[in-house]
Amino acid sequence: MNLDARRLGRWIERRLGNPTSAAAPVPAPGRERIAIAVLAVLVLCAAVAPLFATAYVLQLATDVLTFAALAYSWNIISGCTGYLSFGQVSFFGIGAYATSVLVLRAGLPWYVGALLGSGLAGLAAALLGTVMLRLRGIMFALGMLGLARILMVVAGNWDYIGAASGLTLPAELTPIAVYLATWVAVLAAFGLNAFILHSGWGLSVTGVRDDEVAAAAIGVPTARIKVITFVMSALAPAAVGGIVAWNRSFLDPPSAFDPTLDLQVIVFALFGGIGTLWGPALGTVILVFVGEQFWAYLPDLQLALYGVLVIAVVLAFPGGIVGIANRLGWLRRRPVLAPAVFPVVARLPRPALQGGETIIEVRDLIVRFGGLIALNGVSLSIRRGEMVSIIGANGAGKTTLFNAITGFVKPSGGGVFYQGKSVSDIPAFQRARQGIARTFQIPRLMESMTVWENTLLAARYGKRADQAVDQAAWALQTVKLDGLWLEPSTKLTPGQQRRLEMARALALDPTVILLDEVMAGMTRNEQGEIRAVLRQLRGFGIAGVAGVEHVISAIADISDRMIVLDRGSKIAEGPPDAVLRDPLVIESYLGKVS
Amino acid sequence: MIILQLVVNGVLLGGTYILLAQGLNLIFGVMGIVNLAHGAIITLAGLFTFWFATKTHQSPLLLLPPVFIVMLVVGGVLQRLLLEPLARLGRRGELLNLMVTFGLSYVIIETGLNLFGSQYVSLPDLQTTWAVGGLAINEALVAAGVLGALISGGLHLWLHHTESGKALMATAQNPTGAVTCGIDVRRMRGIAFAIGSALAASAGVLLILVIPLSAPTADTLTILSFVIVALGGLGDYRGAVMAAIILGLVQSAVGYYLSGDAEVVVPYLLLIVFMVVRPQGLGRATR
Repeated sequence: MNLDARRLGRWIERRLGNPTSAAAPVPAPGRERIAIAVLAVLVLCAAVAPLFATAYVLQLATDVLTFAALAYSWNIISGCTGYLSFGQVSFFGIGAYATSVLVLRAGLPWYVGALLGSGLAGLAAALLGTVMLRLRGIMFALGMLGLARILMVVAGNWDYIGAASGLTLPAELTPIAVYLATWVAVLAAFGLNAFILHSGWGLSVTGVRDDEVAAAAIGVPTARIKVITFVMSALAPAAVGGIVAWNRSFLDPPSAFDPTLDLQVIVFALFGGIGTLWGPALGTVILVFVGEQFWAYLPDLQLALYGVLVIAVVLAFPGGIVGIANRLGWLRRRPVLAPAVFPVVARLPRPALQGGETIIEVRDLIVRFGGLIALNGVSLSIRRGEMVSIIGANGAGKTTLFNAITGFVKPSGGGVFYQGKSVSDIPAFQRARQGIARTFQIPRLMESMTVWENTLLAARYGKRADQAVDQAAWALQTVKLDGLWLEPSTKLTPGQQRRLEMARALALDPTVILLDEVMAGMTRNEQGEIRAVLRQLRGFGIAGVAGVEHVISAIADISDRMIVLDRGSKIAEGPPDAVLRDPLVIESYLGKVS
Repeated sequence: MIILQLVVNGVLLGGTYILLAQGLNLIFGVMGIVNLAHGAIITLAGLFTFWFATKTHQSPLLLLPPVFIVMLVVGGVLQRLLLEPLARLGRRGELLNLMVTFGLSYVIIETGLNLFGSQYVSLPDLQTTWAVGGLAINEALVAAGVLGALISGGLHLWLHHTESGKALMATAQNPTGAVTCGIDVRRMRGIAFAIGSALAASAGVLLILVIPLSAPTADTLTILSFVIVALGGLGDYRGAVMAAIILGLVQSAVGYYLSGDAEVVVPYLLLIVFMVVRPQGLGRATR
């Protein structure tokens, strides 16, 4: 057998359609209503049936629900936000202990205990999240693993909560009460997933997963969004932890903070489809039922086989069952807040404004990276509605200048003023919301979103849903991408991607757009399309600041002013014709004639 | 005197820790992934060594060469089958890589549990204690520390003074640049994972001499190794040596003054604290 890894890699890549990128065309509302009704009846039947079945079936159904609640919660933080957690069991344990202690020591009813435990875990998540979520990728994954271990040791040494010998709880819950309570937790976790995947707010969460920097650039408060989703992912596990502890009548550190629980939950979510609405449920139901038959024969190999399953699913169908279904046209995600037809907006959002007052002022800006001085005392100002091009060779400091103005780089000296006020202490996402929009040198689009959602995400802040829809539609029309509005953003050509970034910037309703290397790598045709957008900015009262390295001819004739940077300093400024004849500028580009 | 004793023990423990971390560091440097099965490989090798030494009454150190060679082959095969297909997926590949090695760790841990049981075991070999100027120096600690440092030193020489080693370093520093120099980057990834696995297994053979192991310790060892690598700065070999010794010292001290439980938590706490405070590692800070 010739197992060539490169071919296997390509094969996986083809199959690795990000599950959420497969957005479906909007279905007819009638048909969808029928589908939802049928589904609701099916779920209701499945939910009621165990109540009349044997104790064994009821316990099995409770197990399925417990894992489903955990899988959905893991899906919130790891699937939707992209922060892979190997320690969500921490919240299961916190909830289990909090509930038990509240009921045993304070004499509360168990359901109140579970609710309070859940709230407590949410609070813990908020506090831990502000620290842990500063870590990324592997750091966060291992940090969470470590957190669960630390909590286990703490619980094992804390006498008030039973230390290593654990707590014995009175067996006072009926299996039916346990079953129904677990249903509540599952529905809550499912509801949170649905909210994230189908609401405008949830777009911010997906934005954080796709590209945190780009998300901040279009006004998403990434730090806050992450902490909120982390809290969401802690609630149901804590409640389930409390319920499971009472159901077992016993609680000790190894059972409360069992690391293998995370493995199982990850297997279930992965098998069903990470980041999807139906994946966790499908994965859990199938694997728990299949497993139940299987483990009876191979009790010692359960976790090893789960390990094999994780590897196999990642390599063979990383989208899980839902990913496969998407390929067949089923279970596709609908674009968020997309009307049935593209909403044509006739109005201009803002009357044409006269150029005039200064909106951005940069004073003696210095940016150092270690020993390298990227910007050495640059001052400039941008007035409303004008088109300024900033030219300079590679390394001249254009991108650093844009990063400092938009808040992605902290200046070492000098200041940036927006509409007369210093923005030094304002985070990047706030600057974007206040009207400083930007595009990136290499387009940074949200790859799992459609063209429409990319734009809508930027249009959302400070607006009602219908206003945001109008704003997004207007932005897409302005850059002439309305015909492609339901395409996945990954399907766009480089020129279209750049225009989508401009649409995103326009959707913020900005007063200035900073365009980094706006013409780089564009064909003649694409340059023409971008120029057409830039020409319109003045009419909307938006200042354009275009950073350009090479294709100066494509920007010179539409610029009111041209600024030249060379090795971190401004060497010329003025009307494009005069600047381009300046000997200093020619020398900067072509070198000195000796 | 107690303090001096702790320092000696800590440094010797650090010598073993260096080896513990080298494999993980090499794989991270070249492949850009963290091998979550690292601790599982260490543990399985340790448990196998225990089984071998108690069955045959031979010196456990005899196992070092064969275990190293076998794990070279196993590591190479695992890399080609499980990780290479994900190597070109970029950011999405990173998460999938973590998942795959996470799954792999459970396969190895459960294999260990089924073969060797879940009780903690440690080898009674090399338990002579030498009294040197009032200090009690444990033979096993010396053997493990010195051998660990020697193997790490050999790795360092290979990386910096041979053509194949330099090719590997080049791949770690800049894969694209390495390709343009005619280096087969795909092969380098295979070599890195093979050597990384072999180093992990060798560390396991030595570690069972020094501390008791059982299958569930695997996670702790992964974290311990990762903490050393992270403290030193990911992919920074000199920083890792420093971090290994510091961690050895801290653990000896905490284990003596506080409790065994606290000693277990040290790596986790350091991990979180340091990652938050100084994500770029110790090494970069001193430069």
